[in-house]
Amino acid sequence: MSALLVAGDLLREARSRRWTLALAGAVTLALVMVALGLRLEVVDGALAATRLFGGTLDTDIRSVDVALRPLFAATSWLVFFGGTLFGIAAVSDFAPSMLAPGRVEHLLSLPVQRWQLLLGTFLGVEALVLGGALYGGGGMALLLLAKTGVWNPGPVLAAGMAAVAFAPVYAVMLGATLLARSAALSAAAGFLLFLAGVVAGKRDAISPVFKPGAARAMFLMATAPLPRLTPLAEAGADLAQAKPLAVWPLLGFVAGAALFAAAALALAAARFERKDF
Amino acid sequence: MATRSARRTGLWLLAAALLLAATALVAMLSEEGGPVPARAAVEFPTQLRGPEYLRMNRRATLPPLPQAGSPAAAPPERKRDPLLWALPPGPAGAVVVFEANALRHSRLGELFLGCLGESEKKDLDELRRMGIDPLKDVDRVAVMPKGLAVSGFFDKVSWDQVFHGFARERYGSESVLYEDPGRGRFAAAVWRSQLIVLGPDPDAVRAAVDRVEGRAPATPPIAEDATYGEVYGVVPGEALRALVPPGTPGDLARRLAEVASRVELHADAMSDVAVTARVSGEDRAALEDLARALGAALAVGRMEARASGERELAELLDHARVARGGEGFSLELALPAELLERWFAGCRDRVGAEPGRPAGEGRP
Repeated sequence: MSALLVAGDLLREARSRRWTLALAGAVTLALVMVALGLRLEVVDGALAATRLFGGTLDTDIRSVDVALRPLFAATSWLVFFGGTLFGIAAVSDFAPSMLAPGRVEHLLSLPVQRWQLLLGTFLGVEALVLGGALYGGGGMALLLLAKTGVWNPGPVLAAGMAAVAFAPVYAVMLGATLLARSAALSAAAGFLLFLAGVVAGKRDAISPVFKPGAARAMFLMATAPLPRLTPLAEAGADLAQAKPLAVWPLLGFVAGAALFAAAALALAAARFERKDF
Repeated sequence: MATRSARRTGLWLLAAALLLAATALVAMLSEEGGPVPARAAVEFPTQLRGPEYLRMNRRATLPPLPQAGSPAAAPPERKRDPLLWALPPGPAGAVVVFEANALRHSRLGELFLGCLGESEKKDLDELRRMGIDPLKDVDRVAVMPKGLAVSGFFDKVSWDQVFHGFARERYGSESVLYEDPGRGRFAAAVWRSQLIVLGPDPDAVRAAVDRVEGRAPATPPIAEDATYGEVYGVVPGEALRALVPPGTPGDLARRLAEVASRVELHADAMSDVAVTARVSGEDRAALEDLARALGAALAVGRMEARASGERELAELLDHARVARGGEGFSLELALPAELLERWFAGCRDRVGAEPGRPAGEGRP
């Protein structure tokens, strides 16, 4: 409960510093750019012509929601990767600000345990990112609905996946902030883990690049505990294209991301317990 | 106090290690489940492919027809395929050829055979006793407006026994004609133990034999280079009227027949069933309108199917489209193999549950 109060406090702080406004503004700008760049001609539910930034996508007459599946998939990839990378940059300053001299002493004086402070900050940022992602994904889905007359929840689902993928990334960013109170270090740690998560998601395909033996074993061992982020992005794109989806592996990858986030938070808590302010 | 803090730190580190191990375990287990492999796109039949070209040449066994008055330097005509020449030229109705032997070995054929019940199996045994094994001896079956033409290997068949009680006469140079003496409404001709023509009209059966033996020159309705796919044929515009349900308001049937003067059908069925219907006609503008209308109908139908929760229909229409190009347009429809398997699954279970039949028998 205390952690939720801390999360609420962070959201209030974000609003007062106009972080939420900046986030919403950036997402809105991206949506406006897509809206202006996309030209669709739909006749009675069939696709007559599709042009994206002047290039013809398809000229056959076919059901618009089938013809536009590549577009829905591309949108999902954009929302997932673009949203996560944007999120890393956008929230990298949150934790260092919370730990700023003056503020951290005030927080530590409250009847809240240190791990609860950490968890509250994590939950607050996750809520902010989820809200931004859903706004972006929902806006994109509504944009496509207005343009094509077809409701496709793909971008919303991809936004949900991006929020899941962001959990381990932000947990690591939070831990990095406890090592050195720096927004740049926090963002760098986030980008690195995101990249590592993308590589880990494709580790079976990448591992043959390494020589069989020690090198390959080390690569597999190093990537084993990392969250698999690529399958989450692929799941979002597959859902957007109404492709069949293996549910249990997807749930496993979601659980893996959550467990890694918990592990990173536990490491951060261990550091926080011994840190003097 | 310091000890308490150190103990807490130790507990957090232990929790982190356990959680990391759990992450690795869960992620690796999920990787074993693996993503659903991407499905290969359905390929539609659009032209003769290598094996079909060889098949076409192998079947051309009849000598070419002599061309009266043609200059001696004219290039020699191609040999002819007996089954194609048995088909009526310019038919009023649909003429469709089924590659029976290929279909029997296709996924669809296996599923179909897996669903045969006891009575159908008895019928097959009955035919085998007469010397015809439909699953081995029949090569092609052509359906035409006035009967059937079946090609295959019928050396072991005693036709006199099969058509017991029928009037028998030799017809032409290599055919035997059997006619029902009672009502005179059924006739069959056997040509070289390779081709059987059956039909309710003895004159139509005789005409088919005349075309095969070269006494009545006529161009087959299906060109040799259009014999691709496991099912192929032509539907004249007039026959399309039958597709429009009676009672449909307006003059849709008439307009359809006017606009689409000829529909050429091709279907691949070895794994996925992919059907291409090439629609052609004289009025290009009307054809374009028809293409747009069909495309829109498919799109709207699919959306309605989705909205009303008809998943299988929606899935079927997923693979339907109108492709423009050349003269006319093509309507493409596909039944993915996995959809076929789902359709046949219930039937297989019913057959498996038949009394005296072990479950699973008949499965492909």
